[in-house]
Amino acid sequence: MGCASSAPERSAGQIGGVNLDNGGANDPKNLKVKLVLLGDSGVGKSCIVLRFVRGQFDPTSKVTIGASFLSQTIALQDSTTVKFEIWDTAGQERYAALAPLYYRGAAVSIIVYDITSPESFHKAQYWVKELQKHGSPDIVMALVGNKADLNEKREVPTQDGIDYAEKNGMYFIETSAKTADNINQLFEEIAKRLPRPAPPS
Amino acid sequence: MPSDSNSTSSNYSSGRDDENPNSDPNSKPEPQLEPEPEPEPEPEPNKNPHLIDQSLDALENQLASISMSSRSPTVTFEGEEEDDVESREQPKSMNGSFSEEIEAGGDADSLEVGRHFESDSKAESSGVNGENISFTWLDAPEVDEVERPLSPGSSGYAGEMGSTSGGDEIVDDDEDDSDIRGVENDGVLGSNNQSVSGKRHADEDDASVSWRKRKKHFFILSHSGKPIYSRYGDEYKLAGFSATLQAIISFVENGGDRVNLVRAGKHQVVFLVKGPIYLVCISCTEEPYESLKGQLELLYGQMILILTKSVNRCFEKNPKFDMTSLLGGTDAVFSSLIHSLSWNPATFLHAYSCLPLAYATRQAAASILQDVAGSGVLFALLMCKHKVISLVSAQKASLHPDDILLLSNFIMSSESFRTSESFSPICLPRYNPMAFLYAYVHYFDIDTYVVLLTTSSDAFYHLKDCRIRIEIVLSNSNVLSEVQRSLVDGGMRIEDLLVEPTSRAGAVSSHLGQPRPGAGTPGRTADGSIGIGGPAGLWHFVYRSIYLDQYVSSEFSPPINSLRQQKRLYRAYQRLYASMHEKAIGPHKTQFRRDENYVLLCWVTQDFELFAAFDPLADKALAIKVCNRVCQWVKDVENEIFLLGASPFSW
Ligand SMILES: Nc1nc2c(ncn2[C@@H]2O[C@H](COP(=O)(O)OP(=O)(O)OP(=O)(O)O)[C@@H](O)[C@H]2O)c(=O)[nH]1
Ligand SMILES: [Mg+2]
Repeated sequence: MGCASSAPERSAGQIGGVNLDNGGANDPKNLKVKLVLLGDSGVGKSCIVLRFVRGQFDPTSKVTIGASFLSQTIALQDSTTVKFEIWDTAGQERYAALAPLYYRGAAVSIIVYDITSPESFHKAQYWVKELQKHGSPDIVMALVGNKADLNEKREVPTQDGIDYAEKNGMYFIETSAKTADNINQLFEEIAKRLPRPAPPS
Repeated sequence: MPSDSNSTSSNYSSGRDDENPNSDPNSKPEPQLEPEPEPEPEPEPNKNPHLIDQSLDALENQLASISMSSRSPTVTFEGEEEDDVESREQPKSMNGSFSEEIEAGGDADSLEVGRHFESDSKAESSGVNGENISFTWLDAPEVDEVERPLSPGSSGYAGEMGSTSGGDEIVDDDEDDSDIRGVENDGVLGSNNQSVSGKRHADEDDASVSWRKRKKHFFILSHSGKPIYSRYGDEYKLAGFSATLQAIISFVENGGDRVNLVRAGKHQVVFLVKGPIYLVCISCTEEPYESLKGQLELLYGQMILILTKSVNRCFEKNPKFDMTSLLGGTDAVFSSLIHSLSWNPATFLHAYSCLPLAYATRQAAASILQDVAGSGVLFALLMCKHKVISLVSAQKASLHPDDILLLSNFIMSSESFRTSESFSPICLPRYNPMAFLYAYVHYFDIDTYVVLLTTSSDAFYHLKDCRIRIEIVLSNSNVLSEVQRSLVDGGMRIEDLLVEPTSRAGAVSSHLGQPRPGAGTPGRTADGSIGIGGPAGLWHFVYRSIYLDQYVSSEFSPPINSLRQQKRLYRAYQRLYASMHEKAIGPHKTQFRRDENYVLLCWVTQDFELFAAFDPLADKALAIKVCNRVCQWVKDVENEIFLLGASPFSW
């Protein structure tokens, strides 16, 4: 093996503990946005993200610890690109208090519930209120009813989702990470709703 | 030390030598293990060193009378389901049910075997009377009715279901996780074969025959008797059983004592009280009390790693606080830890092990980690599975080997870390049990991952940046491919221990991690014959460096090649370790024991501890000679097998 690297290039002057976090870059053609997913454990947040970022669906449950970070760039019709920096948070109860760590500075939040679980719909409403109180004031919010493929086990009527979203000025969609139904639509729709920085004159 | 009463040893001998003339560890030449006169058999240890006070006597009587009720060997398991159903309403038969747990799986002959108690203090508490006893005892289960809250979406984490049909044998689930009849699994190398995902046998409860036959149970419960974790079975279904355990503990505690150990027939029940949290192990594995207690400590540490000790505050506000939901989704973490108790010597050595690597390779990794640690990272670890490639800590901070064990167990058993980079709160119980650190975790490949720990909750982007720098250096210097190579043929193989020690000098650095004939087929020696171990019947060794807090163990090779044999050997080491550590260690200490399975040799100096296993027919003088050679070998290759010059680990 080579040991050329035993003296690795020291990148002097590296940032020390500086938070490079930014909600959106200011190039109007190439947007960069911080997006956070919130919702009860098991509703399918990670599956939605992995479907969107990698085009995969893994039915084995891999409960998220803390939060996972992924990113994905999409191109819109008007030739702008949007890079989503995605925080897929853990829905387990013990992490609830840490959520602000992840949604702080987020430009977009996707709040997910499972259409077969009224409890998770209830939990989604808790997150909406929390973000209205403590999230960025101009945050774009989406309410997502996931597991739409399990329609025969549905316990949350679509209309309930629509009504709640409308009342709170949110975008609403039902998705299935399993069948990929509406996953890309969800992110494209969000991208379209992003506030655009004024083009440089 | 209560010597293993199970020992079928035909020829047991043990010797201790505190007066070795070569005892100064700092003087050259290296300490030599000298053959000594065949030692005296160890005196029968006092089985009952502690005063058994009256309150414990009373409890013992309770247990004894309970045990009478199921005395007949033919009672076995018939009709128990009914018994237990009744017990939900009738506390009296519930008591019976507890004794059956203790006896579960044990042969009926052992029912009358004396049980004994050990307690911390010798406080007299004669004021306790029988009525009080039964009041506490009987009342608890009713007070603690638990209704199961429906948590949406949590159903996905119930884990696989086990069969409930029971055979006659006690089931030892460490080896074969899928089948209740848990027969021997002769696969190779336990560490690679963990298939732990969520709780196993979640459909069991204390009424299930299969549950009762498990060889080793672990429970965590709250001081109010609420179940928090159970290795087998659903916590909620075990609420009644949990309340019984709680009743025993609080009964003894009320008497000013603390119950540590209950023996009942083949079973030991070990208790560990940590503030409002109680941990219990029920085992018929014949491991020493100290070992089982150490295992409960690790289990507690794992829980603290996930929640911090500030979880205690929840109990201050509400003594009946239900903690299970706070541990949601972590069953795999605990089952993986419990599994590692039977294959990972780090669990009882309190030392960590390094992946064998050429010195320059490890240095390359160390220097980039060092670089990163200068920029606000508290600890930086590069790991391959449960082994350390390199680790670095900032300034005066030090990382306890147990924290490394618990951290790597947590990361490896939580599948989501493999999916993408993560940022998560984690508490290192030995570093600071009260506070969370923040861990950035990223896998470079299927086995190799980096963990960057910081106190700053908003350091993610910085840590991500650090990881990118680390990744560049690692790939430029081929560290990752060297790591993969070491996984395949790194490590110390006893077949390579040469008879003449001198020939090793000089050939050292080219030795470990060098592809060799027969590599990949463990047990094949250079000449292609099936291995029969090293010289003089050496089968295996573990060497622990005291200054470094690190150990190295030889690769397994025949005849120690099944998981069951490996586990049995580790248990033997563990017993040896416990017996060597129960008294203050002199400058030199040796133990030589021979039974039908092995010759075991243990040598403890100020610098190191060596545990070696030989063929049961091995010659003692030769075995001692080989041990000296093993120590020399370890010294010769120490810069490949250990992480040297790491930041000070003293604390
Ligand atoms: N049928 C169906 N199942 C789904 C769908 N999305 C997710 N699941 C299943 O739901 C379970 C949980 O999905 P996750 O994505 O891990 O849930 P999560 O919201 O990330 O959960 P936490 O990480 O604990 O917060 C998995 O077993 C998936 O197989 C879906 O669209 N349809
Ligand atoms: Mg998830």
